[in-house]
This record gives sequence, structure tokens and C-alpha cells, in this order.
Amino acid sequence: MSISVNGQSCVPPGFRFHPTEEELLNYYLRKKVASEEIDLDVIRDIDLNKLEPWDIQEKCKIGSGPQNDWYFFSHKDKKYPTGTRTNRATAAGFWKATGRDKAIYNAVKRIGMRKTLVFYKGRAPHGQKSDWIMHEYRLDDLPTIVTDAAPTATMAVSAATSSDSGQEDGWVVCRVFKKKHHHKDAGAGSGKRGGGGRDDGGKTARSSSPLYSSDDALDQILHYMGRSCKQEHELSSPRPRTAASRYLRPLETVLGGHGFMKLPPLESPSAAATARSSTTTPLAASGDGNVERELAHAEDMLHEPHRDSGITDWAMMDRLVASHLNGQHDASTDQLCFDGTHAGSNDVVDDTAVNGVAFYSAAATRLLGGAAAGSGDDDLWSFARSAASSERLSRVSP
Amino acid sequence: MGGSTNLPPGFHFFPSDEELVIHFLRRKAALLPCRPDIVPTLPQNRYDPWELNGKALQAGNQWYFFSQATQSRTSRNGYWNPIGADEAVTSGGSHVGLKKTLVFSIGEPFQATKTNWVMHEYHLLDENGGTSTSGSSRKRSHKKKGHPDKECSNWVVCRVFESNYDSQVSFHQEDMELSCLDEVFLSLDDYDEVSLPKN
Repeated sequence: MSISVNGQSCVPPGFRFHPTEEELLNYYLRKKVASEEIDLDVIRDIDLNKLEPWDIQEKCKIGSGPQNDWYFFSHKDKKYPTGTRTNRATAAGFWKATGRDKAIYNAVKRIGMRKTLVFYKGRAPHGQKSDWIMHEYRLDDLPTIVTDAAPTATMAVSAATSSDSGQEDGWVVCRVFKKKHHHKDAGAGSGKRGGGGRDDGGKTARSSSPLYSSDDALDQILHYMGRSCKQEHELSSPRPRTAASRYLRPLETVLGGHGFMKLPPLESPSAAATARSSTTTPLAASGDGNVERELAHAEDMLHEPHRDSGITDWAMMDRLVASHLNGQHDASTDQLCFDGTHAGSNDVVDDTAVNGVAFYSAAATRLLGGAAAGSGDDDLWSFARSAASSERLSRVSP
Repeated sequence: MGGSTNLPPGFHFFPSDEELVIHFLRRKAALLPCRPDIVPTLPQNRYDPWELNGKALQAGNQWYFFSQATQSRTSRNGYWNPIGADEAVTSGGSHVGLKKTLVFSIGEPFQATKTNWVMHEYHLLDENGGTSTSGSSRKRSHKKKGHPDKECSNWVVCRVFESNYDSQVSFHQEDMELSCLDEVFLSLDDYDEVSLPKN
């Protein structure tokens, strides 16, 4: 078949462009960097500083069908001639990196890195977070000595940091999409994605939930704990498939089901002090002495891993958050999200709620992520301690 | 994957309802060559759904083929049973087709076992609003020269898939989701913003 009409290349009807990460890096970006011709030139060059995310849809349209993600090449500019930081500001806002870069592997070796960025409207300290997400892929041109070595998790992390400093210049390929709100569409019926998955008793909901089925880190955690998702699920009692339980299940099953870490009991939302320290998670709570207590407690738990599971506390939390997500927003819920101060004018209720949930899960996930990356318990708690004592504490205290 | 196309990596056959009707079914019915000509024509009732592999066009975990519409939809080991109401397929505001959803059952009617196999069967709608199988197709006055022969106008195009694989999302959708960790880091950013007056 022909893929060009009147000399102009085009996408034949019915086809979507949805490359894998490997295809993006190893085919498109590699050819771009090498200035080789790409068979069907569907990925445009974009000056990121001149294009707002909402204009990308029009600019980067491929073919005639509906599109949920958009692709472009971008040449990274340095923010300052001497530094290594990249300038990702547009007229209306800026792209801000979030999290840690993720290493992309093919079957053989590491081929590149992915940076996740979020678009904020406005200017730097006061930007307003949007739902626009960008995955920025860059090639990995580390010496083969490094990439040929066994790609353990720790290796990946250290390699990530080393390539961070060197690779802030040159061509990248980007995928832009809008974040989905799972808590909103969880109960909203089949839609395009549902595809008849509602009839099979939650099986699909579990296996297709992108929150953890696709998450390497959580897989690692589960692997580390020697259990599969399936087992975890069978252990936990059946519960209504609400948005909140969908959000919480991964963590709940990882933590609560295992008695790995126990949080102090949670009587009611109005028990502000308790609620706050447990919501913000032990390690992030600020200098009221809680951190030491929590850590000691957590260490106890570690030495006696088969004590009470503490699942009731989490179930309580679950309910609390469920009511929170269902939109019952009152004064007491503010206390859930940290100290309420951040819930400023530009945060909508939903965001506040989700942030509360996410933040409460944050330190726990970090902990476990650290555990998965490290080799043993010692690593876990040294990670926890350093996180608690230096980074988080200093940032969090008012 | 994607039939005999020579598209570069990253392209997948994942047509919308509209594209199936406009670009494939309409051309098939008008005896125009489909471009690309990748969807094969199969006798509808000859195959059980699990036999489609290698015969129909496979795209992800979906199979596509053309067929002649028939009243009975019985194959060797079972039959297709319509469920739900027919959906209209629209293009540019006007109805161009009809989408029927069917489920495959193994065995004889009334003592059959339902399966997870689902078929979307697309029919053309002529301009009078009836399906082209109703006989009025003779009078069709398409811009494209509709073939006057009724034989050629009761074509359907079918999409078959197993529903428990979340088949409507057949391509690594997870890349387009934020992972749990991403969400966590994303929310942590907020707290950084609050307490750090940005270096």
C-alpha cells in the first residue's frame, strides 16, 4: 500500500500513532538525532517555549481519528548558558519536572530516560497546576560499560543521576496527554475504555487498574514482599468498588494486609492531632516529637513483622477518605490535608482531597520504594531516617 | 501487526466507528478498493471466534473482517446473539451506519453457554435511514457510484474481541497514565511549593 497521497505523506484511515517507549526512543529519536530520514514524518519539531499545551492538539494532529496523546520533537535550550537547567517556560506558564526520571529498557539494555513534567499556568512560585502531563524521552548515551552491567535498581538510580547532569541539551521526543481523573470516572460507566469490563465482577477493574498494574515500582514492592497482586486481593475482604477503595487498594493491601507498618489508631476526623500525624505520614510530620516516636514504633514493627496487621486503622482511613472523595467537604476535612494552608484559592475541592490521599500515601510509598530499590531492611530504615531528618522535615516546618 | 502495511513503527490499526463505516464499509459496498486493503472478507458463519486468528486482520487483540450480513449467525460450535440496542454511527452530524453488538454462545440456543467473545457488526445506513440490507439500497444515490446490485450492498464489517481483556484499549495505554508513584510525587510538589519560597 501507499502511504503518500499527492506526494504528501499521510496516515491511512483507521490507523493510530501510538508508539511504545522503545519505538519512540530507538526509532524516532535515534533517527532524529542522526538526522536520518523518518519514513512517515508524523512527529513535528516544536519550540516548546512558544507552544501552550492546549495548542499542541491542533499542531501535532496525526491522521483523522480521535487522539488522546500528542507527540513532538523538541530541542532543549539551556536556561542559562553556564548551567545545565532547561528552560521550559511558555507565554502562559511553565513545565515543571516531577518525581524521578525513569529508565527505559528494551529487552537487552537501558536505552533512555523519561522525565515527567506537569504544566503550571502562571509564573514559577505561584503557578497553578494543570492536568497537562508531558513525558520527555531522551536517549541514553552512557558508555557501554555502564549499560552492559546488570541493570539492578540501584544501578539505574545512580546512572539516572549521572546522566541527568550531562544530558540537558539536545533533541528529545515528547508525549503530551491530559491526566485522567480516576476518582471521577471510576463509577461513570463503560465509556470508551470500559469495553465491557464491568460485567466480570471486578476482575477487570483490578487487572486493568493503571494505578498499579503498570507501575514497576509497586510491582517491585510486591515482589519484594513475596506476594502477587492476586494473593493480596484475595486476602483483603470484599469491599464496595468505590473510587476511594480503588485509590487505596494498592497501598492498603501492601501495608495493611501485611502488618508491615502500623499507623496510630484513627478515632475520628476531628481528632485533629492524630489525624494529622497519620495523614501526613510519620516521616513527614514536623517537629513535635512525633517523628522519633513513629520511627521507633515502625522499627518495632519491623522487628516483629507478624504482629497485628493494623488493618482496622487502614479501613478507617479508607472510609474517611471515601467520604472525603465523595465530596463531603467540611471544616474537619481540611485538617486532613496537612495543615490546610496550602488549600489556597486555586485548589479545587477534588484536588485537595486527592492530595490528602496521595500525600498520606506518599511517604509510605517512598519508604517501600526505597525498600524495593535497596537490598534489605537496613537500607529501608536508613532511607527513612535520612528522608525524615533532613529533606522532608526542613521543607515541611513552617 | 497491522496487516501488509509498510508503516513505520508505532502505527496500529485502531479505527473509530466512523472510520470503519466511511473508509472501509462504504468503499467495500461501492466496490471501490479499500485503501489500505487490509481487511479480509470472510464468510460470516464459517468460523468460531477463536478461529479468526490468521484469517481476519488482527490488530492488538481485536480481529476485523468483512462479511455478508445474514439472518442466522450460527457457526460450527455456537451462535452470535445480539445484545443491547443498536447504536447509530454518525459522521459530520448525519447517521451513516449502525453498530450492533453481539455475544458468542457455545451450543444450541436455550442450552448454550455464553462466552466473552464480543462482535461489533457495522451496517451501512442509506439516506432514507433504513439499513441497506432492507432492500431500498437499489435506490441509493450516493456521491460515490453505489453499485445497484443488492448482493454487494449488504456488506458488514465486524470487529471481534474477547471482552475480559479490556479490549477497547488494545495498545499499552499504561504509558499514558501517571503511575501511582508519579501521582505521589506530583502531590509532593504541592507541599514543596507551599513551604519553599522557591530558590
